[in-house]
Amino acid sequence: MLFNSVEFAIFFPAVVAMYFLSPQRLRVGLLLAASCLFYMAFIPIYILILFVTILIDYVAGIYIEKVEGPKKKAFLVVSIVSTCVVLFIFKYFGFFTSSFEGLAGLFGWPVPHYVVKIILPIGLSFHTFQSLSYVIEVYRGKQRAERDFIVYATYVMFFPQLVAGPIERPQNLLHQFREWHEFDYANVTSGLKRMAWGFFKKLVVADRLALYVNDVYAAPRGHNGLQLTIATFFFAYQIYCDFSGYSDIAIGAAQVLGFRLMENFRTPYYSLSISEFWHRWHISLSTWFKDYLYIPLGGSRVNKSRHIANLLITFGISGLWHGANWTYVWWGLLNGSYLVMGSLTKGWRDRFFGAIGLHERSFIRKATMLLSTFILTCFAWIIFRAHSMGDAVYVATHLFSGWDFGNIKTPQFLLRQMPVALASILALEVGQLLARRKTPFSLLGKMPVPAKWAAYAAFVLLVVMFGVYQNRQFIYFQF
Amino acid sequence: MYRQAISTESSDNFSSVMVDEPRASNYDAARAGTKPASGSKPPSTALSALRRLIGFFTVLTVMAFALNAMITSGLRRIKTSEYGAWNQMMEGKVNAQIVVTGSSRAASHYDPRIIATTTGRSAFNLGRNGSQTDMQLAVLKAYLEHNQKPEMVVHNLDAFTFETSHEVYAFAQYVPYLYDNEIYAPLRKITPDTWKSRYVPLYGYVVDDMNFSWMLGIRGFFGWSPKSDFFQGFDPRPKPWTDDFDSFRATNPNGVSWPIEPEGIRVMQDLAGLCQERGIQLIFVYSPEYSEMQKLTNNRAEVFGHFHDLAQRYHVPLWDYSDWSHAADTQYFTNSQHLNAQGAALFSEDIASRLQQYIAAQGSSAADLRVAH
Repeated sequence: MLFNSVEFAIFFPAVVAMYFLSPQRLRVGLLLAASCLFYMAFIPIYILILFVTILIDYVAGIYIEKVEGPKKKAFLVVSIVSTCVVLFIFKYFGFFTSSFEGLAGLFGWPVPHYVVKIILPIGLSFHTFQSLSYVIEVYRGKQRAERDFIVYATYVMFFPQLVAGPIERPQNLLHQFREWHEFDYANVTSGLKRMAWGFFKKLVVADRLALYVNDVYAAPRGHNGLQLTIATFFFAYQIYCDFSGYSDIAIGAAQVLGFRLMENFRTPYYSLSISEFWHRWHISLSTWFKDYLYIPLGGSRVNKSRHIANLLITFGISGLWHGANWTYVWWGLLNGSYLVMGSLTKGWRDRFFGAIGLHERSFIRKATMLLSTFILTCFAWIIFRAHSMGDAVYVATHLFSGWDFGNIKTPQFLLRQMPVALASILALEVGQLLARRKTPFSLLGKMPVPAKWAAYAAFVLLVVMFGVYQNRQFIYFQF
Repeated sequence: MYRQAISTESSDNFSSVMVDEPRASNYDAARAGTKPASGSKPPSTALSALRRLIGFFTVLTVMAFALNAMITSGLRRIKTSEYGAWNQMMEGKVNAQIVVTGSSRAASHYDPRIIATTTGRSAFNLGRNGSQTDMQLAVLKAYLEHNQKPEMVVHNLDAFTFETSHEVYAFAQYVPYLYDNEIYAPLRKITPDTWKSRYVPLYGYVVDDMNFSWMLGIRGFFGWSPKSDFFQGFDPRPKPWTDDFDSFRATNPNGVSWPIEPEGIRVMQDLAGLCQERGIQLIFVYSPEYSEMQKLTNNRAEVFGHFHDLAQRYHVPLWDYSDWSHAADTQYFTNSQHLNAQGAALFSEDIASRLQQYIAAQGSSAADLRVAH
């Protein structure tokens, strides 16, 4: 079920009402049933895949806790491998076979051609990683194995974050299913406000920009440099608003029910370096890779070349997590390279800024760093968004050629859309800046109820009226 | 480096990721377990909190319905453009003696002013952009429901006449009139979700419309009408010849075959049957089509075979303008299917003269003029 659907508008209040009216012993079961319904609204049969991974990791968790020594590790390995096999079959099988065929072709080896057409279960990478984090934490002794199957299944399937995260850790979420959540007005209203902000990002910003981006990136060679530049700039905002909008709705929906999910984004385009960007972008995935891949590889506590290799491996695999396509791998490696270069040139850059009199708190220095970080990020997004590396290279090398100001529109995005698109980006930035300062919202909070309600209702109606409803799926569902 | 950047290796720093950055409104306060800043006291019990929430959502729902009503009312007040033509029809203000029905080809080919001047009978164009025969029939039925019966219906044919709607083009044009079952029922058949546009406030204006028609509605509510670009339903296209046809030919070098669906034939039979039943003279006209396009239509003969069958079965004259004297001249077309304003003026004069002759001859031997090219 999509958050931006009439069905969800009926489903969510019904679940909230039933949840708060139910006694504690029924609440988890209710959430599980609701989550199943939510997931089955996509492709019902795929719930069986989820059930298999849940069952494997549930049983594995109990045995990992029970036994010691090599057996403990064996159960962990069995659990990880079997969970990853499901992910591999559905997400990467076609990619690996086609890559192998391509490689074999280079050497002239005859290989049979396999065509496997499997629809990727929505959000598979997300709940797979959430399951994996559970068994690993149990193995490390940081989390007790969950004995109640319903509670464990709900942890994996909790509908607000089931299909696109945040990828939760058992220490943060699992215990919350055993807690009694009072109907709390402040919690409910702030959750609803968070959801409204998420809908604004998704419907008003991301989906309108998507109209332009989809047209241009579908056939980059048919567009001029100005269109390629606009599309790339728009994509940076589209993907941010699409994904962080989903996270806002997920976190808000969970909060209405009394649950706390981890933050996933912290205004990443305000970062002053690529390293800071990755500390603010898709935090739940970044920390997952840090805890379960980067640190086990040795992290930064190794020699320099090994450290660089650890970074590139982590980012390369992180790229592959996003999709079964070489463009994602290259995107990951490019970001890893940014970090390596950032580290290697840090001293030089500091000296340069010092030499021209720009101290660390200087506005110009900060602005330069912010802008260069944003440009580097946009450049990486080209690879992420392009259908092939050929397309990515074409876009990257034609951004500044043949600008035609008389030819900006695309078939889906007529010029009348442009002021609305730009205004929505501006509104997003203003909203984010205001939220950092808090004052206007504090003022709003002090207003009398009718004025407050009018302001909130006006915001909701503006989101509804300026929303776009043609490209309804969230980008990250495909991952 | 990675320690400083992506994420750090200490658990303290990991947990710092879990801390919210200031966000909108009282979010942090709620997270921190403190009371949110508020001018009004937070409700003391769950019941009063619930009451307050229900109160807010009731206000929001009422506002949504009010806004929806305002937009609908505004669109129905518009006197010009496409909505103006709709409104004249739905308010029963047309009552023309000759009406033209059909797709965008009908809308942009027949100028009722020329037809009226030549024939001495009032005329109106009911052509709808992007419509297939099923929706054209729906529009005719709605017209008959709200207006006096015309003497004559000129139904414009297309090569794709026997293909029914698989999606609704420019859905927003229908939204203010969904209360009318003649419009609503066929739309619902094409798109079962149409009920949402009828009953869920604002749905029809925002979900299926990328043209901000709701803004027209709000402005219309305050008495504003857009520029007058429709004339008694006629939608002239001032644009010169575009490269649409060249692109089409490049992508379809071997031509195309238009679907002939049994349902499409049935809808045409319904249309002919309706006119017969009401005693309305029906005339089928295949208005000019760019000659090069005719060569690319592989099943043209088959389509025309069905036109002739229908014409014979219902005793309807069929006037085919495929070999119109300017059919090979791009000066009179905007693309392969549509005449431009200049071409439409010429064609309207031709068809008006023929209608005049037909009407004049009807009293004596109308059958002589039932020509099938």
